[in-house]
Amino acid sequence: MTKHYTEDDLILYYYEERPRAGDIQAHLDSCEPCAAAYRDLSATLRSIETPAAPERGDQYGLEVWQRIRHQLPEQELPWWSAWFRADRLALAGAFVVIVLAAFVTGLSWSSGTKSAPTAGIAPKTSVKASADDDGRQRILLTTVADHLDRSERVLTDIMNAPAGHDISAEQDWAEDLVLASRLYRQDAADAGEHSVALVLDDLERSLLEIVHSPSKATAANLDQLRRRIDAASLLFKVRVLGDELRQRERQDAARPRALSTHTS
Amino acid sequence: MDATEVTAVLARARQGDSEAFRTLVERHSRRAFQLAYRITGNEQDAEDVVQESFIRAYRQLGRFEARAHFGTWLHRIVANCSVDLIRSRRARYDHASTDALDAADQPETESPSPERLAASAQIQRTVAAAMTSLSPLERAAFTLRHYEGRSIAEIGKTLGLGTSATKHSVFRAVKKLRAALEPLRSES
Repeated sequence: MTKHYTEDDLILYYYEERPRAGDIQAHLDSCEPCAAAYRDLSATLRSIETPAAPERGDQYGLEVWQRIRHQLPEQELPWWSAWFRADRLALAGAFVVIVLAAFVTGLSWSSGTKSAPTAGIAPKTSVKASADDDGRQRILLTTVADHLDRSERVLTDIMNAPAGHDISAEQDWAEDLVLASRLYRQDAADAGEHSVALVLDDLERSLLEIVHSPSKATAANLDQLRRRIDAASLLFKVRVLGDELRQRERQDAARPRALSTHTS
Repeated sequence: MDATEVTAVLARARQGDSEAFRTLVERHSRRAFQLAYRITGNEQDAEDVVQESFIRAYRQLGRFEARAHFGTWLHRIVANCSVDLIRSRRARYDHASTDALDAADQPETESPSPERLAASAQIQRTVAAAMTSLSPLERAAFTLRHYEGRSIAEIGKTLGLGTSATKHSVFRAVKKLRAALEPLRSES
């Protein structure tokens, strides 16, 4: 029996997104119902023309600049930039000197006292581990903050969706977020960020509930989802935690500068 | 401006040089407006999106990878700002945005006959009205796929969606638009 192609397959084929397009073409050449369905689909899509945007003159860029120039905020520093600033490099240099000094002291100590052979190695290991932890922590903050932003959008959409609205787009999105949320929750727990892990846990439950709700959500379905989101104060927590993480990112970036000010 | 100059301007902008950033704004504003208009379907909203996008871009310039193309990065910001704006003004869009409808009333320059002109204008008017019934993500995904010719992978990356979610947003948008256009196709 001949397998017919679905509308989704034909949409992908129209947009040249379908792998093995040759197979579809061969099928369309021999199957009249699929060929008719494709003719109808492509005629409709071809009739949708790109809307002409209102014209903007050569000076438009300048006009935009004039409107925004006084609103420009401070630039956010990338997390890694803190490691390359002069004051931080100086700090790192000081650490290296201390580590070397400890190492040399440890060596001379161990040559005299065999009972403490690792005395010089311990500080070196702990400083390196601490730097690695710091970097990991910062990446985690940034990633989780972005994840919370995306989750907030889905939750907001659900909170504002009218009854009978097709929420399958939000469900697809929530499904992607559930997987990410699970990983970040584990990372947060491993990093000792228990409050972050707790919010992510709440978030994961609500996202799962969104995923498993009917796509054509009735008023009762939506009400149930909203009650759960409200009961956990989830939107509030997600917003507050997102802001808090962004603030911590900024503080982490600013901390070396403050240290250097105090010591100079 | 050649590639070396662009790199130099970007480097200065990333160091907080606002004059360098001005060069980027002047260079990319028209393209940003065009995309914002196609997604929002409203001139004033598109203006707001352009401004917000450049402000967001300036704030996040530190995260921009020098190897990437600034236009592509900005394109992503504009698309997301447009989605955010449609979400925040959803109630207004539920009552139909009229700009796109008005635009569809403008006469075309290359139309072979009055009948064809009228039919085409009606299709574009129906599409504009149907676009307002799409969810913000469906609208952005369809605009990027159909009008901008972006691949599913690029759209997913732009909107922060997985491949499956992106495909389904496009599928749903196409189905809704087909349903809206069906009566016109039956007539013809």
